[in-house]
Amino acid sequence: MIQLFHVSKFFERCTALHDITLRIDRGECVLLTGPSGAGKTTLLKLIFGATIPDEGQILVQNRNIARLREADIPYLRRTMGFVVQNFKLLPKKTVFENVALPLIIQGVSLAESKKRVREVLKAVGMGHKHTSETGVLSAGEQQRVCIARAIVNNPIVLLADEPTGNLDMALTSEIVELFKTINAQGTTVLLATHNQTVVEEMNGRVIHLQAGRMVSDKGPME
Amino acid sequence: MRRSLYLIQEALASLRVNRTSVIIGIVTMAFTISCFGIFALLYGNLKKLAGTLQQDIEVVVYVESQASDKVVEEVRQRLESEQAVETLSFVSKNQALKEFYQHFPDESRMLEGMNENPLPASFVVQITPRFQVSDYIEIFAERVKQFPGVDQVRYSQDWIDTLALLVSYFEFGAVIIGAILAVATITIIANTVRLSFYSRKEEIEILRLIGATGSFIATPYVIEGAILGACGGALALVLLKGAFEFFLLELNASGWFSGLESSLAFFPLQTSIILVLSGMMLGCGSSLLSVFGLMKVRNDAV
Repeated sequence: MIQLFHVSKFFERCTALHDITLRIDRGECVLLTGPSGAGKTTLLKLIFGATIPDEGQILVQNRNIARLREADIPYLRRTMGFVVQNFKLLPKKTVFENVALPLIIQGVSLAESKKRVREVLKAVGMGHKHTSETGVLSAGEQQRVCIARAIVNNPIVLLADEPTGNLDMALTSEIVELFKTINAQGTTVLLATHNQTVVEEMNGRVIHLQAGRMVSDKGPME
Repeated sequence: MRRSLYLIQEALASLRVNRTSVIIGIVTMAFTISCFGIFALLYGNLKKLAGTLQQDIEVVVYVESQASDKVVEEVRQRLESEQAVETLSFVSKNQALKEFYQHFPDESRMLEGMNENPLPASFVVQITPRFQVSDYIEIFAERVKQFPGVDQVRYSQDWIDTLALLVSYFEFGAVIIGAILAVATITIIANTVRLSFYSRKEEIEILRLIGATGSFIATPYVIEGAILGACGGALALVLLKGAFEFFLLELNASGWFSGLESSLAFFPLQTSIILVLSGMMLGCGSSLLSVFGLMKVRNDAV
């Protein structure tokens, strides 16, 4: 599903990732851990096609990211969901409108969109707030909407970059439960975090990065 | 269908949000297009006037005063055989005198005391439309001058030529000014659209994040540019019509160039539509130009 072969990424004065080789299979739950600046976000960006590797190859669903044409990147992204720490929601639009946006982009009919959005909002526990503007929601609620938007088009892979970074302990547990449910339904989850509680509660494969290098790759605890 | 509706709604929302810059953009653009419009109006009317005058052109062939009837008849026959001659009318010496008295009664004393009529007989030649070209008329006049019995050939070509030259200058000027103003218009719209683009940078990042294509992101801005352009063109048309009507009123009141106002015309409906559509096309083009480089999806979306 996702394969990295000797991938390196350099920025002006530092090495963001150095010689990373790994394979992530369909349905896996992978936690990318490491301190800030370890290269977790860069790795997610590379898989998402937001940037290209300076060395090595990345295959996502058997497609070489570096060789994909600009015009093909959006279609690759439609098979993935991305959850970010700062939510990236449109504050003046309602919960429903925000979640429906990926479906509008793909030209899904209104009836089908309504059905699908209702389903995912119910799944993330936000069904009762579908008419609220996202700007007035709490951080936990905004993160739920962000997750709903990421899964509304049934992605094969769900990428998450510090999804609990802005949340307290109680909300963090709720969001972790949500990710576990999504993963249990067959979606590959790749979650970057430096929060040890998240790592323990998710109980997935843990890839630890440090200064751009992969220092460990451990399977879930039995 | 739903996607198109969404894109139009986004364009309209953007116009609403950036109201001030949109209004400034439309007004500036209207003035810019109006400048070109004034030039186009002047050019159109001068060209029409030159064409009308060219159609009315007459060549007067004066016969020698001593020419016999036989010579006059020979001149008539030779003129009639010319392809360029559409109609021919003969003005005899007596008729010329009569017309002189009619047109210049105050100067009639000049001819008193003369034993014989000094005015020559003449042929007034109307030129066939396809030969109404100044170069050809000149050649025709030179040839007719060589006919036996012909004294002089006169035609009012000089100032028509001057007018034609003026029209060609206007034509050239219209192209240059049009190009300069088109660049100015493109810059105005491109800047307005770019401002709107930057004000929605966050939204564009979100669209990239959820798999929107470059064309999906750009479309609302192209629609926005088209609306701006069409509004600018329409406003320019209204301004031009107002200025044109005011000019006609002033011309009428002043009494100068009496009768000229009836031959002046505003843009026909077709040209008016083309003007608005041109504004719209310029708007679309400017928007595309403005957002083209900003569409790269590999830009950090996350």
